[in-house]
Amino acid sequence: MSERPSAAACLDQALDGLLAGAPAAVAAAGAALDAALAPLVMLGADLKAALPVPVVASRFEARLEARLSDPAAGRDALAWILRHPTRLLVTGAVGSAAVGMGITAFAAWRHGHRPGRATHRLLQR
Amino acid sequence: MSVERHFTVPQRETDPDLADVRAAQGDRAAFGTLYRRYLDRIYGYCFYLLGDHHDAEDATERTFLAALGAIDRFRDDGASFRAWLFRIAHNELANSLRQRSRRGAARLAGDGGGEAASHSDPAGLLGAAEDARRVRDAVGQLAVDRRQVIVLRFVDGLSAREIGTVLERSEGAIRVLQHRALRDLAALLGPEA
Repeated sequence: MSERPSAAACLDQALDGLLAGAPAAVAAAGAALDAALAPLVMLGADLKAALPVPVVASRFEARLEARLSDPAAGRDALAWILRHPTRLLVTGAVGSAAVGMGITAFAAWRHGHRPGRATHRLLQR
Repeated sequence: MSVERHFTVPQRETDPDLADVRAAQGDRAAFGTLYRRYLDRIYGYCFYLLGDHHDAEDATERTFLAALGAIDRFRDDGASFRAWLFRIAHNELANSLRQRSRRGAARLAGDGGGEAASHSDPAGLLGAAEDARRVRDAVGQLAVDRRQVIVLRFVDGLSAREIGTVLERSEGAIRVLQHRALRDLAALLGPEA
């Protein structure tokens, strides 16, 4: 004995027909839909008409296409690191060296421009 | 005596995008075909959920970049490529909506779709345009999960099964959600709908 499909399943079947291009009344009849559910199929037809696929701005489309065709686009950072661990080490070493040099240069500059240093030197003489 | 055996082999629909996905997995340049095929629909999903062209563009961009980054991991194991792609869009939208709620901006879909009328209504069909606007406003008032089902079904043409993959629910649960969403819409639009 086969179980009777639920109202939600019948409605879904009717909507399948509607979205495949059948008129709402035909889609509702084809799914042997309960009379109370038929207006929901009509509403489905209204939804289909009221919600068109929006137009994408051509400038956005072109910009995104260019980004996607960039060989580095969307590349998983973790995957990239795992594929090229030496590059990560080199990048880290160069980065640390640059930070170290920057701090040393700043300390030297600060040492040479300490406020009141010239006065202090004069007083010591 | 011949015995006829009838085997019912469960037929799985073949994914029409599979050949292009395989091509994109071998050569990223081939991803352009999939991008052009789904750009409008992914953008449509983002637009009707976010209600803003700019935010929809951002979410669309993140979706395609994420899809390109993960294309090697797509496996033909039951879910179609488009369901997989919409699932990525769904996650991006969830992030956008979360950020938006943090910022306190509550505006969601409703208007804005009017300018998307690429079907170039003949001038004078003001009544039809007004009806469409009322329907869009009503969709904008639905709970987010119901609105997602309506947009994925009626804008993007996904089946209940595919929507189930996108929203991580069963096909039956999606059918029930769809039924309830349509009932809510009918109530919002009143007897004249």
